[in-house]
Amino acid sequence: MLDTDGVKCVVWDLDGTLWDGVAVERADSGLPEVRPEMLAAVDALAGRGVLSSIASRSAPEVLERLTRDTGLAARFLAPQVSWQDKSTALRRIAAELGVAVESLLLVDDSPYERAEVEALLPGVRTADPRDVPALLASFDGRPVTAEARARVDRYRTEEVRRRAGERFEGSREEFLRWCEMRIEIGAAGREEIPRALELAERTHRLNSSGLDREQVRLMNEQGGHRLFTARMTDRFGDYGIIGMALVRPGPTAWSVPLLALSCRIAGRGASVAFLRWLMEEARTAGADEFTTDLRPTGANTELRLLFRQAGLRIAGEGGDPAQSTVTLTRTLHGDLPSWPGWLQVCPLPIGPTP
Amino acid sequence: MTEEPLHEQRAHVEREIRAMLAEATRADLSRIGELPAETKLFGSEISLSSLAGVTLLAAITERYGVDVAAQDLSLDCLESIATLVDFVVWHLAISPESSV
Repeated sequence: MLDTDGVKCVVWDLDGTLWDGVAVERADSGLPEVRPEMLAAVDALAGRGVLSSIASRSAPEVLERLTRDTGLAARFLAPQVSWQDKSTALRRIAAELGVAVESLLLVDDSPYERAEVEALLPGVRTADPRDVPALLASFDGRPVTAEARARVDRYRTEEVRRRAGERFEGSREEFLRWCEMRIEIGAAGREEIPRALELAERTHRLNSSGLDREQVRLMNEQGGHRLFTARMTDRFGDYGIIGMALVRPGPTAWSVPLLALSCRIAGRGASVAFLRWLMEEARTAGADEFTTDLRPTGANTELRLLFRQAGLRIAGEGGDPAQSTVTLTRTLHGDLPSWPGWLQVCPLPIGPTP
Repeated sequence: MTEEPLHEQRAHVEREIRAMLAEATRADLSRIGELPAETKLFGSEISLSSLAGVTLLAAITERYGVDVAAQDLSLDCLESIATLVDFVVWHLAISPESSV
C-alpha cells in the first residue's frame, strides 16, 4: 500500500494524468476533458482534508484557461504551470501553502518527472496515475475531524488573503491591523480536544516539545493538567482552532509541557498573544514562575526565538546539549511580553483549576 | 581567513551583521548602523520578531557557516548586537571551515 503518512497536499500533473492528451497542442483554446475518476479522487482527498495542487510543464497560458474554469480552479491551490523543472514548481507550492515540501505527493504519468522530483527533493513521494486508487485507499485510515474537512476551504481563503497582502501598500503592521484579526483563547471543551490533538501531531515549526498525540491525551486525562486552545478569525474568514497548550498549573509555577500552533498563522502575533495570555492566567492564579519544555529541532527555531523574545531562558546553568528536552523559565513578576497591537484578544473565562 | 588582526576582522563582521539585521527587520541600514553595540535585539529600537530572527540566523549560517540555532541552545547570544557579533567571531576563530 502507498505510504502517505504526513501527506498534506497531492500535486497533479496535467497532460496524461489529470486528462488525456496535451492541452497546449489543442487547436481551440479549450482544455481537454478531465478524467472523471481523477476529479472524484481530488474531491475524495479534499473530504479527508488533503489539498490538491498542480505542477505541469506546459505553456503558462494553459494556467489562464484553467483558472477561467471556476469549477476546476477552486479545486487546485497554488497551481504551477511553466516550463521550469517540476522540483522547482513543488518548492513554490510548498512555500505558498506554508507546508513542508516533504508533505507533498506528486501524481505524474512521466517516469522522468517523478525521477527528477525524487532526485532533487528527497523525501517527496511520487505516484503514477494508475496508483490513484491505492492512493485513496491509503487515506482511508486517516481520522477525519471537522477541522480537517474545513482545511481546504481555509487554504482557499488563505490564498485570497495572501494575494491581498501582495496588493496592500501600507506597512506590514498596517496590513495586519487592516485584517481585523481576532483571537479567542480559553479552556478546551470536549469538542476542541480532537483538533488540539491534531495540532500536537501535525505541527513542527511552532511546536515546542514534540509530545505525541497519545502522551497529550493521557496527560490531559490523568488530572493535574489543563488543555487550552486558541481560535483565530479575520476579515477573510475563520482560521478555526490554530493553537493548543497543555499546561500543568501548580501553586507556585505553571509549566507548559507542550505549546503547538498551526504554521499557517506564523508571524501574525498569535503565538505571542497565546503565550502572554497563559502567563497572565498563571499570574492571576498566584504563580510566580512560568516554565516551558523545549525540544529544539531543525524546524522550531522560530518558536525558540519567540520563547527567547518572551524572556524564557534555560533553567539552571547552561542546558546540557545531550539532553533532548530542556526547561525554559521566567518570573511572572515584572512586565510580560507585550500584546501585538494589531490583534484583538478575546479571553474566555477558564473556570477554576480542578 | 586572512591574517588581519582580530579587531579589524571583528569590525568587519559587525558591519556585515548590522546589514543582515537591517535587512531581516526591514529597517533602514543607516539607523541600524548608528545604534550602540549594546542595543538589545529584542528591545524597542530593533524589536527583532521571531520571523525576522529566523531570516537573520539563516543569513549568518550562510555567510559564516556559524549555526547559532544549533550551537546556542537558549539563544543567549541574541541579547544585543555586541553579544551576537562576539558569538560569531568566537566561533569563526575556533572552526576552520567557517570562512570570512
